[in-house]
Amino acid sequence: MTLQNQMNKLVKIDNTFESFQSLIDFYENHKDMQFGEIHLELRPLFAANMSAALGAVLDKFISNLNAIHFDYVSPEIEVILSNNDFFTYFGKSRLIDTNTNTIKFQKLKPTDGKYFKKYVIEELLEGHIADLTRMSNGLKERIIEAIYEIFVNAQIHSETKFIYTCGQFFPNKNKVEFTIVDTGIGFREKINNRFGSKLKATQAIKWAVEDKKTTKEGISGGIGLSLLKEFVEVNNGKMQIVSNDGFYQFDDDGESLKMFDGEFPGTIVNLQFRTDDFNNYTLKSEISINDIF
Amino acid sequence: MDNATINIVNTIGDVYGVEAEDGQKVFELIIRSFTKKKKVTLSFRNIEILTTAFLNTAVGQLYKDFPEEYIKDNLRVADISESGKVALKRVVDTAKLYYKDPEALKRSIEEII
Repeated sequence: MTLQNQMNKLVKIDNTFESFQSLIDFYENHKDMQFGEIHLELRPLFAANMSAALGAVLDKFISNLNAIHFDYVSPEIEVILSNNDFFTYFGKSRLIDTNTNTIKFQKLKPTDGKYFKKYVIEELLEGHIADLTRMSNGLKERIIEAIYEIFVNAQIHSETKFIYTCGQFFPNKNKVEFTIVDTGIGFREKINNRFGSKLKATQAIKWAVEDKKTTKEGISGGIGLSLLKEFVEVNNGKMQIVSNDGFYQFDDDGESLKMFDGEFPGTIVNLQFRTDDFNNYTLKSEISINDIF
Repeated sequence: MDNATINIVNTIGDVYGVEAEDGQKVFELIIRSFTKKKKVTLSFRNIEILTTAFLNTAVGQLYKDFPEEYIKDNLRVADISESGKVALKRVVDTAKLYYKDPEALKRSIEEII
């Protein structure tokens, strides 16, 4: 077996650093190929939300007019990627979703804000009744706002052609995962272009998640990611950012940063929230309406 | 009429105040009112979801052109949710600091290097 064939087996892809590294290896291995045939095997397991990242990588190959062949997909992964509509985008027949835990794979243009709203309502607010009824309205609102902050960040900053989203409810584990991926310029280039700096990807991500840090010119910002981080902390959730060769994670164990070998062609933001979070998010804040400005 | 009420849902045609460019529409109406010396009430009635990106363009960038005291005396908000209030306060505090010292961001990058 050649090295290239080995690289095209994606095995045990979940949300670990090593799983992201496997996707990056797969991308690096074929990023310069044109008019080629790319063969892929997906073997247990494959976390549904990671189809957003895989879809982004496959689209990079397809934009170079390569053909993608799924040589082997293990039966349980076949069910997941059919149910979440992923395979619809990659040449397989569309199936009717019978799995209510799935949050569909979606490929949107950055200008498709209205479609994203419909998707959020159908997939996160009105679908999945069994999971959602357990969550308070305040929690649902916080999760939707967090997801929107990331979507809007990708719209404003990434210079991507498409934004890829996907997710999954885990009723038995009381959590929901949601992933937003772009194939734009990444945190590092965005920040270095703006400030003429030479930050590494990890330094760029760490800077961007700090409060009030923005690359926007002439207008303040930089609140979305720090609000998200604060919510993740209260919720006992997790956030991961993969951008180029940088990896950032924030969870119960605090912040951690690592570098990948090779680069992801854009940014992945992976969010995990607890659905059994009984904090009162509608509690009246101490801010008076007369004391905002 | 000394006062103007800006209905955000009507201005952006949506109950989700999420996209930066929608915030720009609200901002432009505030500016038009301020330049005519009107006091403005921003009505968030029926707004369901807000992002800081929307609030930055709608309200945050006012601090570029108007002094804090002027905004405090001439702008009020109504019917905003608790989480919306928290987000708006963060946006306003961030904007005040940013326009006082726009070079602070560049310095924070230089500190890393």
